[in-house]
Amino acid sequence: MQAWHQQLPIYQQLADRLAARLLDGELTEGAPMPSVRALASGYMLNPLTVSRALQALDADGLLEHRRGLGLFVRPGARDRLRAAARSRFLATEWPALRERLRRLGINPQDLDWTP
Amino acid sequence: MTPLIQAQGLSLRYGAKQALDDLSFTVAPGRVVGLLGHNGAGKTSLMKALVGLQAAQGQLSVLGLTPGQDRVALLEQLAYIPDVAILPGWARVSQLITLVAGQHPRFSAERARALIRRTSVGLEDKVKNLSKGMVVQVHLALVAAIDARLMILDEPTLGLDVLSRKAFYELLLDEWCDGERSVLISTHQIEEIETLLSDVLMLNEGRLVLSLSLEDIDRRFVALGHDPTAADAVAAAHPLLRYRTPGGSAALFDGAPPPEVAALGQRLRPSLVDLFVALTRRPEINRNQGL
Repeated sequence: MQAWHQQLPIYQQLADRLAARLLDGELTEGAPMPSVRALASGYMLNPLTVSRALQALDADGLLEHRRGLGLFVRPGARDRLRAAARSRFLATEWPALRERLRRLGINPQDLDWTP
Repeated sequence: MTPLIQAQGLSLRYGAKQALDDLSFTVAPGRVVGLLGHNGAGKTSLMKALVGLQAAQGQLSVLGLTPGQDRVALLEQLAYIPDVAILPGWARVSQLITLVAGQHPRFSAERARALIRRTSVGLEDKVKNLSKGMVVQVHLALVAAIDARLMILDEPTLGLDVLSRKAFYELLLDEWCDGERSVLISTHQIEEIETLLSDVLMLNEGRLVLSLSLEDIDRRFVALGHDPTAADAVAAAHPLLRYRTPGGSAALFDGAPPPEVAALGQRLRPSLVDLFVALTRRPEINRNQGL
């Protein structure tokens, strides 16, 4: 069964996982989102929790409603997500990482940059 | 929305034993309700009272009917798997479908066959050749093919392995939970079912100790993860329960702890198991005591 941690509400964790799938290109722009039922049984979650996660993604401008067809991934959603993730990394994760690198005495040339 | 179940002051006594003690609750449409309690807490008695198989005192309305008086009509309108449910071993699945179709006016044989096709069970398989997990899936497919608004499941996944339990819940979520129909499900496997639920009914020795939606549980109860050095200060604020977490220690509060205590830790999502332990304290299961 799925493991959910206790730091965040589950709907928020599901929204994060769906956003990660979107970033990975597994959910493509302009394509329909999986239905609430499919997500509920896929992640073993109450449908209300799934709806809240979709609402959160919608509030972030990542989804669009098409009349009679349901929810779709909004074109440009990936760029929007990547921009948000980038600014979050630069604002919060990077300063902590930089501090750690400095403390450990690791220079850019010590790091393996090959993908 | 009219509730599917309305209970007011529901009590049930077997001789000297008070099996249900003054329960009041409602179940609305479109909910997944977990009925949680230790063995002997009254879960099966409550489910039997709801379907009219056990007489109880107090006011009770299920699908607008009175279970004690309208038992036959009620059993036709809900989907029920009792804890002692058995399917005959000699029967083929297709024969079971024919059998139920002849008995139950709101049963759709076509839908039952469609549901069976979603499982790994064949229509011509005999029940006695199926694994326990497959039998339970057949049973679910049979009751889910009843045109009903309420399903009542008494310990449906007891004794099943984890994959069978997962398949069972997937079928339930996918084929039953449509936002209108509700299901009341009793289980011991609280951790596993927690994320499926929209509401919780918690019984302890016949009393309802909690009847709340998961959303309201998250609002009302506060779990505070904290450093072991803060343990004394946290304990002084009278939490319901103190327990260990992977990262250290935690305490569960009914309502927000005082701000100076909240500042000692990090707010966590309260888990249903911890809440269950806190509200139904029995020494043998207070696994995380003695900090």
